[in-house]
Amino acid sequence: MNAIEIRNLSKVFGQKTAIDSLNMTVPVGSIYGFIGENGSGKSTTEKMICGLLIPSGGTIKIYGKDYKDIDVRAKMSCLIESPGCFSSYSVWNNLMLQATNLSIPNPEEAVREVLKLVRMEGAASNKYKNCSLGMKQRIGIAMALLGNPELLVLDEPINGLDVDGMRIVREVLLDLSKKGITIIISSHILGELEKIATHYGIIRNGSMIKEMTSEEFEKECRTFVALKTKDLDKSRYVLSNKYSRVEKDEQDYLRIYDLVTPEEVVTYLYSQGIVINEIKVDKIGLEEYYIDLMKEKEY
Amino acid sequence: MEKKFEKFDLSKRFISMIKVDFRRMFTMPLYYLMVGISLVIPILILVMTTMFGGETEGMTSFSNVWKIIGSVSESMIKNSPSMSGEIDMLAMCNIDMMVFAVGVLVCLFINQDFKSGYIKNLFTVRSSKVDYVLSKTLVGFVCGSSMILAFFIGSMVGGKIANLSFDLPLGVNAINIVMCLICKLGVVLIFVPIFVIMGVVGKEKLWLSMIGSFGVSMLLFMMVSMIAPLNANFVNVILVLVGGVLFSVGLGSLSNLLLNKLNIL
Repeated sequence: MNAIEIRNLSKVFGQKTAIDSLNMTVPVGSIYGFIGENGSGKSTTEKMICGLLIPSGGTIKIYGKDYKDIDVRAKMSCLIESPGCFSSYSVWNNLMLQATNLSIPNPEEAVREVLKLVRMEGAASNKYKNCSLGMKQRIGIAMALLGNPELLVLDEPINGLDVDGMRIVREVLLDLSKKGITIIISSHILGELEKIATHYGIIRNGSMIKEMTSEEFEKECRTFVALKTKDLDKSRYVLSNKYSRVEKDEQDYLRIYDLVTPEEVVTYLYSQGIVINEIKVDKIGLEEYYIDLMKEKEY
Repeated sequence: MEKKFEKFDLSKRFISMIKVDFRRMFTMPLYYLMVGISLVIPILILVMTTMFGGETEGMTSFSNVWKIIGSVSESMIKNSPSMSGEIDMLAMCNIDMMVFAVGVLVCLFINQDFKSGYIKNLFTVRSSKVDYVLSKTLVGFVCGSSMILAFFIGSMVGGKIANLSFDLPLGVNAINIVMCLICKLGVVLIFVPIFVIMGVVGKEKLWLSMIGSFGVSMLLFMMVSMIAPLNANFVNVILVLVGGVLFSVGLGSLSNLLLNKLNIL
């Protein structure tokens, strides 16, 4: 069964088509990484799933029911753009308000629990307006977790978080996923998304260009040989004469994307008088995969 | 296999919504400020106009404290601007002008939902907006009523300080005064749905909801003294309450329709 099934979804703002015949399938219990450049339609799609924007066409089914179904929607939660808190209220009061909104039987306990989950127990009495960006994001996640939602829609939840904050969110989301909660998460921090997502959806100009599982992604990722030498420029020049695609990465590794074994590369460079310090076979990450896909779709 | 979800029926949604709104309203400094202003304004009006003798062009001072609560319907017709051709500015400075203050409060209250983004938290879990509209109307009515009562108390205090006459006008008794007050509360119930709909239309644009609310209130303002006079009787009460309920239901349905058909963000 799918948690979300979107068919031919469209959204038009005046003359501009923001979403164009979008199809999307999110299986129950998955962490769905929703990827796309700025303005590609991620947030618009998420807002429509949450009923905050009215679709111009198409259907959205949540757990097999129309997205407007009252009972289904009561078990949804979102963090879109900002946490939706009152700046003059304390963190505690903001969360209590949402707990009341959700008719949670023991609100104090539920609020304490979510604050503990996002490691914000010590900041409960802080005024929301005095919280840092990272803290606000964590409050937003805490708010979204109230009421044990079945479906979580998170728009850029790790933006502004420090390394520790990202790790906390990652752990929380993985725990939730283990409990069978479905999570849609959009983010530009693809490296972080890659660590948790079980499914991916890549959107471009309002249309879904690719949907795949993390296993399919693994299979599709190209391998490369990465190496380090003392003279990178010379090595690059020498390798470029033999191989079609040689690139230097951020960690000063030379990458050879051609179908080649490390042994072949070692032999070739040795014959050219170059000594290799380190060599390994690796796979491209989500970020590179995404960039490649975007380039591919441009042509 | 279809997933089963716990029922989130209207009564449950309405109760939770009402709790949220009351919690918010009663922790909002603006509410206490508005009630305070409602209490102080009649004291200032009564004391100041008595202190300065009152008889300036187009203005007459309050000779009787009940004049700030309402006018007797017959004298109102005789002295109405259309009959005499003059507008007595002071006659308009009465409890009826509180509807504008209620408008400010309701518009700001709804605007905060949109401006803070809290509306996303509300409407993600609510596909039906009936409970939102109902709750806002009820909270607006309760707050408006408390402002009307504060104004009434302020008038009594102001009248005492200004040493004004507390004699009831001819044909008015204590029951009429009570009926008149109930009518004034009923009038709040007529105006609040207008402010709610303007708040919903304006969303995060406070200026739009304020202008809309003030514009419509201005059109209906003269009607208030007619339907809720000082010598109000049972018929007036029924009329105002029926009007209030009809406005709440009619405009509430329209607000609900707008929220369901328009983009929230």
